[in-house]
Order: sequence, then C-alpha cells, then structure tokens
Amino acid sequence: MSIFHNIADAISDTAFIWRQEMRQVLRDEGVLIFFIIVPLVYPLLYSWIYNNEVVRDVPVVVVDDNNSSLSRQFTRMADASADVKVLCHAADIDEAKSLVSRQLAKGIYYIPSDFDSNIYGMRQATISVYCDMSLMLTYQAIYQTAVSVTQTMGAGIQVSRTNPVTKREAEISVQPLAVSEVPIFNPAGGYGSSILLAVLMLILQQTLVLGIGLSAGTARENNRYHELIPIDGHYQGIFRIIGGKFFCYFMIYAVMGAYLTMAVPHFFSFPQLAQWKDLLLLMLPYVLACIFFGMIVSCVVRYRENVMLLMVFVSVPLLFLTGISWPHQSIPPFWQSISWLFPSTFGVRAYVRMNTMGATLSDVMFEYRLIWLQALLYFLVACIVYRHQILLSRRHALEQLDRIGRKIEVVAQIRKRKKNRNLGI
Amino acid sequence: MKSLRDIWSIALRELRILWKNPIYGFCMVVFPIAVLLFFTSMMSQGMPERLPIGLVDADNTSTTRALTHRLDAFQSTEVVERYATVTEARHAIQQGEIYGFLYFPKGTTEDLLSARQPKISYFYSLSAKLPGSLTMKDLKTISTLGSAAVGQATMRARGATDAQIQAMLQPIAVDLHMVANPWSNYNVYLSTVFVPGIIMLFIFLITAYSIGTELKFSRSKEWIAMADGNMLVAILGKFLPQAIIWLAIFFSYEYYIYGVLHFPHEGGSWAIIRLGLMGVFSSMGFGIFAFGLLPSLRMSMSICSLWAVLSLSMAGSAFPVMAMDGPLQSLSWLFPLRHYFMIYQITVFNGFPLLESWFHFAALAAFMLLPWLVIGKIKNAMLNYVYIP
Repeated sequence: MSIFHNIADAISDTAFIWRQEMRQVLRDEGVLIFFIIVPLVYPLLYSWIYNNEVVRDVPVVVVDDNNSSLSRQFTRMADASADVKVLCHAADIDEAKSLVSRQLAKGIYYIPSDFDSNIYGMRQATISVYCDMSLMLTYQAIYQTAVSVTQTMGAGIQVSRTNPVTKREAEISVQPLAVSEVPIFNPAGGYGSSILLAVLMLILQQTLVLGIGLSAGTARENNRYHELIPIDGHYQGIFRIIGGKFFCYFMIYAVMGAYLTMAVPHFFSFPQLAQWKDLLLLMLPYVLACIFFGMIVSCVVRYRENVMLLMVFVSVPLLFLTGISWPHQSIPPFWQSISWLFPSTFGVRAYVRMNTMGATLSDVMFEYRLIWLQALLYFLVACIVYRHQILLSRRHALEQLDRIGRKIEVVAQIRKRKKNRNLGI
Repeated sequence: MKSLRDIWSIALRELRILWKNPIYGFCMVVFPIAVLLFFTSMMSQGMPERLPIGLVDADNTSTTRALTHRLDAFQSTEVVERYATVTEARHAIQQGEIYGFLYFPKGTTEDLLSARQPKISYFYSLSAKLPGSLTMKDLKTISTLGSAAVGQATMRARGATDAQIQAMLQPIAVDLHMVANPWSNYNVYLSTVFVPGIIMLFIFLITAYSIGTELKFSRSKEWIAMADGNMLVAILGKFLPQAIIWLAIFFSYEYYIYGVLHFPHEGGSWAIIRLGLMGVFSSMGFGIFAFGLLPSLRMSMSICSLWAVLSLSMAGSAFPVMAMDGPLQSLSWLFPLRHYFMIYQITVFNGFPLLESWFHFAALAAFMLLPWLVIGKIKNAMLNYVYIP
C-alpha cells in the first residue's frame, strides 16, 4: 500500500469518527444540555444577575441627637448621594438597631448632640457610623458615603474659617497639594464587569469537560464490554480517534467560544477592549487545552454521572484560583501550584486583561505561552491515555475471542462425545 | 413496629451501598473537607497583604521620597517597581504586574513650596474588585496624608496645638463601628457561604444520584419491596444514614469555623446547630424533589448541579440581592442557599432574634416538605421505569 493510501485512509477514518461522535452528541440529551443549552443560557442568567453592576440607595437610619442646620445638612447630602438612601429618622440607637435587625436598614448614622457646637468651636466633630457587616458592598457604600459627605462639608467649613484675600488663596490654604484620582480600568467599579468575563471563560472550560465526559460515559455504557473505544476497523489509531473527536468538539466550541467571549459581553455592554485578532489567537490554544483536558478526564470516569460529581463543584474553587476575587499574589503556593493544572487559570487571566484593560497579546505573553504549553502537554497525555484505552479494549476483545473459541471447542467436544456414544463406541 | 424494622433494614442496606461505591466516600467526606480547607486556608490572612503597586516619581525630591517611604509601610500594598513614565506604568498594569501606581509630576515640591497647588495623581484598576479597591484605599490615604503634612507644617509654624491642627485639617471625622466583623475579614464573608453552598451542592447531587442509581443498577424493585410499598418507610430508611453523615460533615464544618477559627457568631451555639439542621434537611428535600420532578438520573442531576451553582450567586452574599432586578429578587426565594444565608446573617452573624428570620425559616421548612408532592411519582418510577443509558 502506498503512503497516499495510508493518508487517505487516516483522513477517512478520522472523518468517520468525527461523524460518529457528532451523531452521538446530538442524540444524547445530557450532552446537549452541557454543550448547547448551558453555554447559551447560563451567561445570560449571570449577566442579568450582575447587570446592575453597583449597589445603589442602600437604606440607612439616621439618629440625629443634634438637630441643627449642620446635622440636617449632613443627612440631606447623604440622602442625595447615589449609594445611600435615608430610610427614616430614629429616636435613639435602640430603635435604629431594631430596624437593622428587621433587615429594613443596613446601617446607622449617629450624629451626637455636640456636633455643631464642636464645629463652631473649632474642635473636631465626629459622626458615628454603625454598619451591618454581613454584606461587603453595602458596608462600603455606607462608609464611603459618610467619608465623602464629611469631606465635602469639611472643605466648606475650612474655607469659611480662613480670611483669604482671594478665593484661590483660600483653596490653596485648605489644600496645598491637589490630588486627582484616576480609576483607569473598569472605572465605575462594576461588580459584573469585574467578575462576569472570568465566569464566561470558566463556563467554556467546564461545559466542555462535562460534555466530553458525559459523551464518553454514554459511549462506555452503550458498549457491550464497557469500553471507551469500540472494536471497529475505523478506530485503529490514536491520532485518528483523538483527531476525529477533537474536530467534533472544536466545531461546536468554535461557535460557542465566539458566543461566550464576544456576543455575551456585547449584549450586556461589558468591557470589550480586546482586538479580534488577539482574541482569536488566545482562544485557539485555550479551546485546544480545554478539549484535551476534557478527553483526559473522560478516560478517568467509569459511569457517566460521575463526571458531574467530579467537575461541577470544582468550578467554584477554580473561579477563585483565577485571582479575580482574591488576588493571585495572596493565594498560598500549594493552591497556586494546583491552579496551574487547569487551563482556566491562565485563560481567564489573559482574557480579562485583554478585555477590561485593553492588553495586547504581547502583554499577556506569559499566560499565552503557558496555555500553549498546557495544550501540548494535555495532547500528549491524551494520546497516552487513549493508547492505554485502545490496548485495554484490544486485550479484552482478544480475551473475549479466546473465551468464545474455547466455548466452541468445548461444544464441539461434547458433540463429538455424544456422537460417539450414539454410535455405541 | 414493623415499619421501624423495615426502616432499619433499609438503612443497613443503604450503608452497604455507601460503603461499596467509593464515589460516595469522595462526595460526602473527602471533597467537602477539601473545599473547606481550600477556602479557609486560601483566605487565612483575612485581607490580602502586600499587593504590588508602582511609582512614577518624575520629581524625585526628599519630599516625594518621604511620602513613598510612608506608602511602603502600609500593610496591604507594597511598592515593587519604579517606572519612568505613566505610559510604562499603565503598561505594567495591563501586564498584570501591579494594581495601581502613584504619580508625582515634575516640579511638585517646587510648586508646593511656592504655594502654587501642585497636583499629584494616583491610578488604579478595578478590573479585579478587591485588590483594586484596597490599592485605591492606600493610595488615597497617602495622597491625603501628603496634603495634610504640608498644612500641618504651616500651622505648627503658626503655633497651633495638635488638637487645633486636627480640627482644622479634618473638621468632621467619621467614627466607624464595624458591628460583628471589625476586621472586615474576607474569610468570614466567603467561607460562610461558599463552603455550605458546595456542601449543599453535594447533598443535592448525592440525593438525586442515590435514588437514580437504584434504577440504573436495577435494585429499585428490591428497595420498594423491602419497604412493603410504603414510600415513607422507603425514603426514611434510605436517607437516614445519609442524613447522619451529612449532619456530621456540616457540624464539623461549623465547629471548625466557629470553634477553631473563631468566626463571629453573635447568635451562639443553638443558632448554629439550628442552621446546620435546616441546611441539611432542606437540601435533601430539594434533591428528592428534583428527582421526583424528572425521574431520570441524568436529568435530575443536571438540574441539581445547575441549580446549586446558580444558588451561589443568588444567595446574594457577594453581590446583594437588593441590587438585582425585581424579578430576580423574587426568584431568589427558590434557592435554599438564599434562605440559609439570610438565616445565617440574621441569627448567627448578627445575633438578632429568630423571629426576624421567620420567613426564611418557613421557606426552608417548605423545601423539606417538597418530597411529599412527588413521592407517588418516585414510586411509580421505581416500579415501572427501565434505565436507558
């Protein structure tokens, strides 16, 4: 046989396996849920949940023991701020506390009775803020509003205390050094913009691994001898099997990947600063790494449901390991080394930096190289694992053949004996 | 009496099943403990420390250097790199090397001494929320301090006392009382929701899995026969051993975070035990209900996993439910973890009376009773369905 025949054979086998795998995916509703429905619907749900981005109008109670024009000014300014809403006035701290315990308010502003006399007497006045600490974002809103309102009021008080010749002189004496605050990326500090992009990349990896695992589980359970690789003329080479399956998954996830990384941020106007060429170059190794990773995981599971028990809960720790909510510099080395095993760690970091900070491919080169390395390593491991599976199914097939052969022999012997007996020998 | 004996024999049978299939050991004991250790050890510092930040000092005088030294002494950030220009520093943020930087333009000190009000800037990225806001806090403090230091020197020269200087620089101070979590410890925020959330995920999944595998390994008829066709006996017997294991796991988790790590628990031990009981039984109720709704192993487990993962967001521990859209606020009632979180923060974390959380208590009780609705359907499935892979 010529080399051309070999190549033609390989291509036709690969295409055959590709078609078989595609059929199996489309027939299996469990796989369809994770390949199609979850990637389509979950991002929309999450985007909806985080769509409001920031917490506005957190209800607070004001206890105003001072009741002066200055204390009323503070209440008014706090109420006018975007983040806080004054729910009501309470007579004393106890009444205010009962409102907090009934979950009607999230914090208390307490203005002591000497508030305005302190200010007029050139002493430092205080405002006490009591926060329900069960939610980080409401605590931040209540505290930061108090700080910014007192600073604004303080600046006015400072100006009124000086006797400047010009207005400019007053400004400089109050603030000799001007400070400007520049939030350069995700300037509004939106919760969704910061976390959702990471979730999208993670959904891609997790659904891919779950789908591949379920599909492999079904293949095993449908197989007579519970093998992953059927005994078939087409399933004779590692590269043909891996290639055929790979093309099937890649075909689906080329579409899903584009939907997750480009369409969803577009629908909900999350940051999308990445250049399309860079994004394409990033997604290629990421999807490759995820597919080969999924193939390896799929060889480990015996029953199809086990992959769900194994992979679903991992999603949450994986999200944390990307460093999006807890900075990766502060993750203990042990967990950091575990995070290097998963494509999502570097995929998320690179994608988030590209999309929210407008980083180019050269800015994420470190992560980019590691994703390629993972893709390569997982490909090699997948080859080894599949080779093992092929050998396993061949051995089992031979044993099976052997057993059948022996059975036939035994049957033949029995028949022979019977024949002989009938003949009376 | 007979039903008690039946429950006992079914429970023994269930124990044998749990023992034989290693997946139960992993999902009921090993993984939950691993997740507990993961979250608590990852955030053991409470707050991230020494986040890398940069510096662009185009002025480079003793005044600006003094400010930089002070910034170095801050706990949550650390100046790791100096850059020549703002462009370079911004590039470093994009490359993920730093979270923010402080910028002194040329002539800052000169303008300061001649009262021309120079302007310094601090840049930070909120693309990751927690490190971004910590960086912002430190940079803001140091810039305000810098401004105050100058004013302080001038006023001291004029003979003002410290109290006068303070009153002048900051006429109104904010006195913050962080009730129950004065360190704003992040571990307390996340480990108290994500760990029980994942344990509940396992309870959902294992509950559905253990009923579904009766069908899959064709033992379902034997199970119903052992209960004499009485579904209450069948369910009680089957889930008795599981409930004991789950409670053991849940209480050890609670003991670890409240007893060993000393997480705030104003509500005391009874509130904690009550919470654990409610959490475990409502999740088992949900798992049985999910299987009854779609009596197929694969579909019920898919529903359980999707619901459980979603509930981590819908609990509203990170992004509050009150900030979500109206329909989502109502939908959040359908997630046991949401009610668990509300009861936790009202009765355990803040120590408010149980009565304040009555609605969420009632909701969790309703989740426990959900299996009643589908018990007939489960029986039918067990007796008549055939497992198709």
